[in-house]
Amino acid sequence: MKTKNNHFDMVIIGAGVVGCAVARELSEYKVNVAVLEKEDDVGWGISCRNSGVVHAGFNNKPGTLMAQFCVEGNKSFAELCNQLDVPYKKIGKLVVAKKKEEIKGLQKLKQQGDTNGVDNLQIIDLNEVKRLEPNVSGIAALYSPETAITSPYLLTIALAENALNNGVKFFLNTEVKSITRLNNSHFKINTTKEEFISSYIINSAGLYADKIARMAGTKKYHLYPCRGEYHILDKNVSWLINHLIYPVPQAGAGGLGIHLTPTIDGNILIGPSNEYIKSKDNLSVTSSVMKMLSSEARKFLPLISPGYIIRSYSGLRAKQAPSSEGGFWDFVIEESDTVDNFINLIGIESPGLTAAQPIAKKVVKIINKKERFNPNPSFNPSRKGILQFEEQNEEIKKTLIKQDPDYGEIVCRCEKITKKEILEAANNPLGARSLISIKYRTRAMMGRCQGGYCLPRIIEILKENFNLVPREITLKGEKSYLLMGYRSNEVSKSCKKKKLLSLEEELLV
Amino acid sequence: MQEKEVIIIGGGAAGLAAAVACQQKRIEDILIIERGDYLGGILQQCIHDGFGLEKFHTSLAGPEYAQRYIDQVKEKEIPFLLNSMVVNLTPQKEVIVINYKGLQHYRAKVIILAMGCRERTRGAINIPGARPSGIYTAGVAQELINLKNYMIGEKIVILGSGDIGLIMARRLSLEGAEVIMVAEKLPYSSGLPRNVNQCLYDFDIPLLLSHTVVDIEGNGRLSGVTIAQLGKRGGIIPGSKRKIACDTLLLSVGLIPENELSREAGIILDNITGGPQVDERGQTSVPGIFACGNVLQVHDIVDNVSLEAEYIVEGVAEFLEGKLTKEQEIKVELGKGLRYVVPQTLIRSEDSIFSFRVNQPGRKKILIFKDGKRIIKKKILRRVNPAEMIRVKLSSSELEGIKTLKVKLV
Amino acid sequence: MEREFICIICPNGCRISVEYEGINIKNIKGDECPKGKDYVKNEITNPLRVFTGSVLIENGDFSLVSVKTPAPIPKKYLKKIGEITRRIKMEAPVEIGQVVASNLLNENIDLIATRKIEKKKSLSS
Repeated sequence: MKTKNNHFDMVIIGAGVVGCAVARELSEYKVNVAVLEKEDDVGWGISCRNSGVVHAGFNNKPGTLMAQFCVEGNKSFAELCNQLDVPYKKIGKLVVAKKKEEIKGLQKLKQQGDTNGVDNLQIIDLNEVKRLEPNVSGIAALYSPETAITSPYLLTIALAENALNNGVKFFLNTEVKSITRLNNSHFKINTTKEEFISSYIINSAGLYADKIARMAGTKKYHLYPCRGEYHILDKNVSWLINHLIYPVPQAGAGGLGIHLTPTIDGNILIGPSNEYIKSKDNLSVTSSVMKMLSSEARKFLPLISPGYIIRSYSGLRAKQAPSSEGGFWDFVIEESDTVDNFINLIGIESPGLTAAQPIAKKVVKIINKKERFNPNPSFNPSRKGILQFEEQNEEIKKTLIKQDPDYGEIVCRCEKITKKEILEAANNPLGARSLISIKYRTRAMMGRCQGGYCLPRIIEILKENFNLVPREITLKGEKSYLLMGYRSNEVSKSCKKKKLLSLEEELLV
Repeated sequence: MQEKEVIIIGGGAAGLAAAVACQQKRIEDILIIERGDYLGGILQQCIHDGFGLEKFHTSLAGPEYAQRYIDQVKEKEIPFLLNSMVVNLTPQKEVIVINYKGLQHYRAKVIILAMGCRERTRGAINIPGARPSGIYTAGVAQELINLKNYMIGEKIVILGSGDIGLIMARRLSLEGAEVIMVAEKLPYSSGLPRNVNQCLYDFDIPLLLSHTVVDIEGNGRLSGVTIAQLGKRGGIIPGSKRKIACDTLLLSVGLIPENELSREAGIILDNITGGPQVDERGQTSVPGIFACGNVLQVHDIVDNVSLEAEYIVEGVAEFLEGKLTKEQEIKVELGKGLRYVVPQTLIRSEDSIFSFRVNQPGRKKILIFKDGKRIIKKKILRRVNPAEMIRVKLSSSELEGIKTLKVKLV
Repeated sequence: MEREFICIICPNGCRISVEYEGINIKNIKGDECPKGKDYVKNEITNPLRVFTGSVLIENGDFSLVSVKTPAPIPKKYLKKIGEITRRIKMEAPVEIGQVVASNLLNENIDLIATRKIEKKKSLSS
């Protein structure tokens, strides 16, 4: 299909992990796809702010899309990460029972998992729990060896970069303002930047998917933000656990409970909490929840102390009903029944990360019912990420520095990230250049000093290599500038000693 | 693998003084390894004066003080590496250094740890609220203003009245910003009284004691903070919350020795100082690895850092001669009134210098050293303050024959 | 009138109390050295402070040279000197003690360098 300027066959609204997965699936075909994202980078809505767990699928109700796609996604996740050069580790999970009454809950989970097609689930006894996790207290556990961990932000970035590489266009800092029907076969999308024309719209706007759906005339969806707060523990205490440690889910509690997650970077996460809030933009952490997280974690891991916490953060879930109503809501992945060619992805909460690729395949299937696509002959499923210097052996490190001395300058002391990696991150193909974009791509500033050493250095690297004025250096996009400007407003050209004397006379106001 | 006699990790005040002292003791095969692109460490960004009053009997700015040592390092041609990061330290005293030239292995007979310290962060003290830009630790702000020529904000709130926070209150005022207030969660300032005077009173900046920041607002850039008053037990006094509009929050909430390498080398740390446990010669639990300066204990006066570095080099020289023998291992017991003592162990009964900090400000206190029931030494201290390190020398005759050592403040 | 000052001359920070009327000093207590006495006398009549700041440098190994007034100056001029300091630019190299600006505000106020600046090397060394 021919296109001009901002005419596309498909426009995806929202560059979260699902939106980017859809983009990548579509890029296997000869279609012109655009992704519109309101933030400064991909994944900054829900996708980057979760535990990064690749669930096995025993937590989901049999017969639901959540169950089906979670199991499917889990089984193909290793390959996906391999293609995209995204970290992945199958460390396994223990759902730990602390009381005898909870063992029934374990058995229920196992049954559910077996029904859903999850492999290798076993109920283990106290001795086995102690053997696998000497620091955890519990009397029995459900052991799921197929549960894995990944980096949710690196995955989202990788999906986006691969899609971009295969022809998808990304428009960041582009917020959709209105959607109108041009004629029976096209949509006109007004944004804060340009106007777009598209035959299909895929609404993967996360928390705001209800708002986008309403713009096209579908009023039936409502999404309610439910906040989850996390603590991140110092890497020094990573030895405390080897697997994901979850409590037995309590009926009606909504969510999987406060759990302990080893991250792919080697920290431990405590969380998340579960709290319905009013604003979809509120990513604050609260002191009451922070205290609660610590005490809940200590129930499983008595050795935890507040001194280990290096940072706290929160993420939001898109719930389809308010807390008063509750209830179970499956993924909504469907073409609108009132608006043709408008596909809604609603309520993609856990296991949304695990299910991202199967969800994307389903979206393509829905479109394929109406359209015949020709394959994209130059589609390449592989993508290489930024080489992590610290992960290489010594010989490779020496070679790298020889080839490029920028590998010899360590900018982030805590995580041992080099200048070269910072430059590669800042030069990413999506064009995102804020500090958080660099942080997600390199782990810089994620260490225990939280940017104390590297922040001024990263600022200088950005300024020098991208010719930026101080105001253009931001934390997470335009409004979050770091610096007012230069301190000095020097009057004019260089002053020699003699000239200085006359300068003061000028300045004697 | 390159072999050296002494490797000094860190080219700041402690490292430079240690290097010069080594050279004076005819220890020539030294190498200073510095990660920044200049020598002098934190002194280069401390452009205020007041340094050197004890050591040089004059008031110098930080860079001037540093230059006195840098000049000696260059004159005596003491080797140093810049832009070089020590990424690994083993108990066998091997280091791996990375710089633009490549990755190099070194092994030394003695390692002197002089890496200084880092700042406590917002994450570490768990301030709730949003995540806007405009929140800096005081040291980072100091670097951005005094070395990189940036202006970081216009309306500033400072949390923490330690010396760095106070110095930055003055600096920001002189640079044309409005410093709205300094909030301090303790009921007394954690900085030197004269700094409260010349940094806050001079500029009419209010100091709110027993106050802390309990919330942060800002969509993009910081737009305001909420402060609240704390009661005697540290809880928030109801009704005391106040919103303050500002665009910058500076955190000056504590310093922690850089102990990453110390941990890697298996060195035993002191939980209170955050730095290595040492004997009176500055030697850590790993033979041949010494520590001095902020990496050992956070100092408030750089003159003491230099004195400490010079002092531990005596131990270094003895070690290299094979004379640093352990005659005993007396753990210095900490009694009431004191937060910590360095050194934590005595291996001999020779002239030794002890450094302390007290728990609370006070007047007319007596520092008592005891061996069991016998009082070894008493020292009257007219005024004590947690912000001011106390250094006391005990002579070999005072320490002779002791079986135990306990120190307390009454 | 009686007032207590915290002396800023040295880290001791002696608390010196002064009884005075207008600019006439009646009694001084708590000073432990002559500098303290001079300090409080000045605080009452004409408080003085050392100014420290930074000046922009071209072609140096640092972007700024730190400066100070060689002697304390009237406290009331501090912010104004700060403004002036931000508008000066110099060329590397600079020696410690070198005069960066003199007779500011026509009050004999000089600024001298407190950081040694060498010329920036053309290639990364």
